[in-house]
Amino acid sequence: MNEFFQAFSDMFSFENVKWDVVWEATVDTIYMTAIATFFTLIIGLVLGIILFLSDKSDNTGSQPVYGVTAFLVNLFRAIPFIILIILLIPFTKAIMGTIMGVQGALPALIIGASPFYARLVEIGLKEIDKGVIEAAESMGANTWTIIWKVLIPESMPALISGITVTAIMLVGSTAIAGVIGAGGLGNLAYMVGFTRNQSDVTLVATIVILIIVFIIQFAGDFLAKAVDKR
Amino acid sequence: MIDILNVNKNYSTKSADITAVDDVSLHIESGEIFGVIGYSGAGKSTLIRLLNGLEEPTSGDITIGDDTINRLSKKDLRQKRQKVSMIFQHFNLLWSRTVEENISFPLEIAGVPKKERKQRAQELIELVGLKGREKNYPSELSGGQKQRVGIARALSNEPTVLLCDEATSALDPETTDEVLELLREIRDEMNLTIVLITHEMHVIRKICDRAAVMQDGKVVETGKVLQLFQNPSHSVTKRFVKDDINDEETTLALDEVRELFPDSKILKIGFVGSKSKTPVVSRVIKQFDLNMNILSGNIKQTNNESYGHLYVAMEIDSETLQKVIDALANDDITVEVEK
Repeated sequence: MNEFFQAFSDMFSFENVKWDVVWEATVDTIYMTAIATFFTLIIGLVLGIILFLSDKSDNTGSQPVYGVTAFLVNLFRAIPFIILIILLIPFTKAIMGTIMGVQGALPALIIGASPFYARLVEIGLKEIDKGVIEAAESMGANTWTIIWKVLIPESMPALISGITVTAIMLVGSTAIAGVIGAGGLGNLAYMVGFTRNQSDVTLVATIVILIIVFIIQFAGDFLAKAVDKR
Repeated sequence: MIDILNVNKNYSTKSADITAVDDVSLHIESGEIFGVIGYSGAGKSTLIRLLNGLEEPTSGDITIGDDTINRLSKKDLRQKRQKVSMIFQHFNLLWSRTVEENISFPLEIAGVPKKERKQRAQELIELVGLKGREKNYPSELSGGQKQRVGIARALSNEPTVLLCDEATSALDPETTDEVLELLREIRDEMNLTIVLITHEMHVIRKICDRAAVMQDGKVVETGKVLQLFQNPSHSVTKRFVKDDINDEETTLALDEVRELFPDSKILKIGFVGSKSKTPVVSRVIKQFDLNMNILSGNIKQTNNESYGHLYVAMEIDSETLQKVIDALANDDITVEVEK
């Protein structure tokens, strides 16, 4: 029993916490999450739109496009993130020049999250009233106009809540990446908190991650609601 | 203006081949309000989508103005659609845009500069009676107001043809009449040709000049609206007309009358408003010294004329009856003997 209280008081003592290191790790986590979310947003949106547009049974020519895109999306979504990082090492080295640190984590983060967001985009686009798309066609809109002025604005709340979920997932992924050397709060919790048995550092890292997650969720909910005029 | 020539549209699904439109030929005049009526599944929805190329015909040609719709390139077709606009049963407005932005949408597609778009949208908002609603979102409007936005949006590129896809089917009867009235006004004002599809006979009666009746992909009857109402020849047309006049009540009443006056003949006298200004019936009564019991009557207003029926019971021999029928026929009044 005494041991338990000892561990508990260690955790809340904060005596091992170096706040400048925590701050640095926080910045790294936010930076990785922000950059990865940004590229995931773009790549996922493009993939999601391709999935949506090519999945029309009347448009027979687009079936192969759907098949290939859907296959790639399913494939990368099925690979566990920790394995994806390892699989991507040669690729990461080739394009980022390093497999360590924040830079080394980004390709895996983006490639892991984009297929996930692509599916969320596709689901969001499928929610759009078919009649509205038909109406735009009846006005003489081309595919680009339909994408920019109908598909994206009409699915905006779903796109925003989708990227919110994805960004939160990415915060989690950065922590996993941190364990194998990507920096950030996950790295801090593992390298300092776990290996040096400083549980107060782990607790601080956890609290900061929770705060980041809550802020993302709150901002996402707020934005999704603000754009929803239905 | 619009020529539909031997048009067929077939779909093949996994389970069966469907002929949605079966050898349809129609000619629609410029400035006309042309109705297509049919029960659901009759093919009218496919037919109207052939007119703006949302559907391609399996065979046959659709010509609007100088363009054969099914032979235009994709680019030309998109261009043409700016002049052949469409309104929808469920309005199909963009919820993400305000009234004004919705109305501007076709102008954006056509590449009209912003200042002009704003001005044109304002004119149309006034035309359809939505002044003060510019900044509202569709979710803040009633069904009738939404359809007014739909109409304004469809008119923004100054089309020559307006296609109405069950445009009033989601509206209550009063709002339906308001929207139909608006459609007639803009037809007169902008010299539009309107093609509408509906399953409601009173829509045809209220604003159409001519109409076609569809069943199983075929046009089974075409004619002036008054003629269709007075003299429906196909069973489907008869059913639609009957539904509109609500003849069932009359039929019930006739059975009772027959019991009350077993020796009487029951006649259905049909007349057209403008042709029956003279007191024909009373003249005939005097002339043949008839005793007549009026059972029921009704008058219906069509686009440009009223028409109606009068049910009467009288004791009359066949010879006199024939004379009465002939006398009334001179004044274009039809008489049917109900059995």
